[in-house]
Amino acid sequence: MRRFLITLGLSLAVCATHAGGPKYVKLPGGEYDSVLKYEDSGSRVRVAPFSLMSVPVTNADFLAFVRTHPQWQRDAVAGVFAEQRYLSHWAGATELGANALPKQPVIWVSWFAASAYCKAQGARLPTWTEWEYAAAADELRTDARADPAWRERILAWYAQPSKRALAPVGTQRANAYGVRDLHGLVWEWTDDFSALLVSADNRDQGDPDRLKFCGAGALSVGDRENYAVLMRVAMLSSLDGADATANLGFRCAR
Amino acid sequence: MRRVPFLLCLCAAIAFVACTPREAATPTPAPVAAADGSAAAKDSKSAKGDFGPPQGEPVKAVLTSPPMVPPATGRSAPAKVIVELEVVEKEMPISEGVSYTFWTFGGTVPGSFIRVRQGDTVEFHLKNAPDSKMPHNIDLHGVTGPGGGAASSFTAPGHRSQFTFKALNAGLYVYHCATAPVGMHVANGMYGLILVEPPEGLPKVDREYYVMQGDFYTTGRYREKGSQPFDMQKAIDENATYVLFNGSEGSMTGDKAITAKTGETVRLYVGNGGPNLVSSFHVIGEIFDKVWFEGGSRFQENVQTTLIPAGGAAMMDFRLEVPGSYVLVDHSIFRAFNKGALAILKVEGTENKAIYSGKEVDEVYLGDRAQPNLAAVTAAAKAATSGELTVEEQMKAGQALFAGTCSTCHQANGAGMAGVFPPLAKSDWLAANPKRAIDVVLGGLTGPVKVNGGDYNSVMPPMSQLTDDEVANILTYVMGSWGNPGGKITKAEVAERRKAKPLAAAGH
Amino acid sequence: MRSMLALVLSLVVVVSAQGAPAPLPRDSIYALDAPLIDQSGRSLQLADKRGRAQVVVMFYTSCSYICPTIIDTVQDLDRKLTAEQRQRLGVLMISLDPQRDGPAALKATADKRGLDVTRWTLAQPRQQDLRAIAGVLGVRFRPLASGEVNHTGVLVLLDAEGRIVARSTKTSGQVDPQFLKQVHALLTSG
Repeated sequence: MRRFLITLGLSLAVCATHAGGPKYVKLPGGEYDSVLKYEDSGSRVRVAPFSLMSVPVTNADFLAFVRTHPQWQRDAVAGVFAEQRYLSHWAGATELGANALPKQPVIWVSWFAASAYCKAQGARLPTWTEWEYAAAADELRTDARADPAWRERILAWYAQPSKRALAPVGTQRANAYGVRDLHGLVWEWTDDFSALLVSADNRDQGDPDRLKFCGAGALSVGDRENYAVLMRVAMLSSLDGADATANLGFRCAR
Repeated sequence: MRRVPFLLCLCAAIAFVACTPREAATPTPAPVAAADGSAAAKDSKSAKGDFGPPQGEPVKAVLTSPPMVPPATGRSAPAKVIVELEVVEKEMPISEGVSYTFWTFGGTVPGSFIRVRQGDTVEFHLKNAPDSKMPHNIDLHGVTGPGGGAASSFTAPGHRSQFTFKALNAGLYVYHCATAPVGMHVANGMYGLILVEPPEGLPKVDREYYVMQGDFYTTGRYREKGSQPFDMQKAIDENATYVLFNGSEGSMTGDKAITAKTGETVRLYVGNGGPNLVSSFHVIGEIFDKVWFEGGSRFQENVQTTLIPAGGAAMMDFRLEVPGSYVLVDHSIFRAFNKGALAILKVEGTENKAIYSGKEVDEVYLGDRAQPNLAAVTAAAKAATSGELTVEEQMKAGQALFAGTCSTCHQANGAGMAGVFPPLAKSDWLAANPKRAIDVVLGGLTGPVKVNGGDYNSVMPPMSQLTDDEVANILTYVMGSWGNPGGKITKAEVAERRKAKPLAAAGH
Repeated sequence: MRSMLALVLSLVVVVSAQGAPAPLPRDSIYALDAPLIDQSGRSLQLADKRGRAQVVVMFYTSCSYICPTIIDTVQDLDRKLTAEQRQRLGVLMISLDPQRDGPAALKATADKRGLDVTRWTLAQPRQQDLRAIAGVLGVRFRPLASGEVNHTGVLVLLDAEGRIVARSTKTSGQVDPQFLKQVHALLTSG
């Protein structure tokens, strides 16, 4: 009897870890040079150690979430939290369908919905700084941004229109931190996307107008060579919290 | 302590940029226009023209895809014009067998042509297709205002934005996307032209066309097949892979050539989106009667080649006098022939020989350095056109030609080479039937042949480089030398044989 | 057991039947759960503002750039309303700096600017709700290490149900005439 119970207990424990959901990877943190030049602190930024999901949140993950949190289903969600195309690629409010494979990253998801998902996991969205830090790596180096090949790979993804079907998460090789799909799959929400105070005319660099954002001009781009990152900033700065697009997803951090 | 910045704020009266403006900025009240509608503002020498508030019903702007141009507005009062332009990212051919992902205004490169009148109030709607990957905006060079509109039109995929401006200056202006990195957005084709007509309109012409030059940068070489991605490093180095009119090689060649008729006046609205290169725009075979250089209000006349800066435009009128194909090029000429900066204007109609005759003479010209004995050849050729030659003249010419063509194998004295090349000297084969030599020279000879008791089995190639009179002269010379029976071979005989047996080799 | 259940159920029914308001419209910002503390230390929910039209701004008390002119702009708006219209419009100012802007600081600002606290509420949100509140209002901000906050200046007009009716980014002291027109329209319609 005891042996049976032990086996049962062990298998239950195993099941529990499997059902635990997405995997997190630990990143050590440290200091690095951001592509954005902040007026108060310059480009040098410090990142505290944190954990990041190794792949973006999938349709299957999100489906499980809306089943247990029905207020986030697409026919129930408040309009201020998600625009009308929220989860429009799903066949139904709780049904994925042919256009939303379980292992594809979830898209057509707003910042509010993404935040709620992460909160329900006991996590949060990564900050821009954390995201930029994790995304600076390629497969071998933690900071590959000086390598034009790294830049070209990312720009090549930007050049492809969004018409093609999304790959499932996790098919790319992990970067030096063990995180996958930060590039080449979907744009990703950050917690402080609305802190990217970029002028809508992105050419305003070194903008002396301190009244523009109450005490600061538009964010300057410190490393103008790093178009790959710049475009991500441009993308996030064009969005509002309730917005969703066909190529924007997210992952959580802790 | 707080007073100074507070007063600063009041005095400055700056409109704050919020990243997501939901409604158009309040238009500043327009000053009352002068009664005669004259352009200049009262207090300065500015060319800006504010003719007052829009009148009548709002008008929906007619937008056209290149190379077509919308018709003249035909308006005599300022109007409210609504422009709706959609950004579409799409893969299209850039050259035969080569495709590229373009980012476009209105689905074409260059983007749709916008035509308004000076003083119009333009309500600009910019839409970004939901399957776009990038946010986009627009900077129209004809807009007076921050970023040329870029500050107010930053649009995420699947969204739309709107702003309003008054077209204060007449002219032909470039518009382009100004989202960072601007160079990449422009290099991917996000540019077009907006024409702001002067209040009295432009002089009428028979045809108008829209042409826009751009430079393109791909990782692969020029015409390397397949789907080519954008190459940022080449763009920074200004090392263009393609320089094209209207976004693809062959966009206006072949059956896509732009057309006109003789006697018509054509106007070209030519822009240069860049991103990097300046254009030396020229139409081969034509002179621009008028060029509104830089797209401004003044024109120059009688211009062969005009400079169009990157991010600039020019307008030119020219009247077509004779039919033919007129080639539009960037006269930095390697771009035209090695990078694709070439387009065709096909003009049809009656010829006018007084203006252009076509080719009148095509003669052999040997220059002063020619060998003296070749003077005979020239003389013979000349004589051949005007009449018959004597045997002596033919022999003289034939001898010179024999030396250059036949003596290599048959020797200068006609001896040939034993076992290899049959002799021509005192040849019994020739004597038996002199005329068949014509076929040999025209069509070559293969197979066994017995000459003067010797067996020969070689290949003589056809002498297809020789003309009829040259063949006649050589054979006359051969027949009249080294103990051959003599006689005359005429040009007419050779021509007849050539017609009878055009490709067959003479012989067995 | 069963009677307990019945009791609980009936309590639930009673409670829900009691203050059962009409369901919130789907595009109302009051769907956001955001506890606030006002300048007099009173706790309230963002959704408590439902029932009266509001002009909402985000600011912070130690701000020396545009925040003072944001207040000027709203005061200018107030002056251009009739007394009757004013009674039907509340003003809600939410701090972008909850660490420093407790009830005392908020009250000090209200006194200094002579704000009518029967209609104007200056509120301290929770730090963790700041992005969400800014998100529903469309305000963008970045806190600096110095304690300052860079942010966009926006006036948001809500109807009584919390739906955004109009937004203005003109915060230089004079209210945008277009925005004013929409305030008039809202307050006269009902």
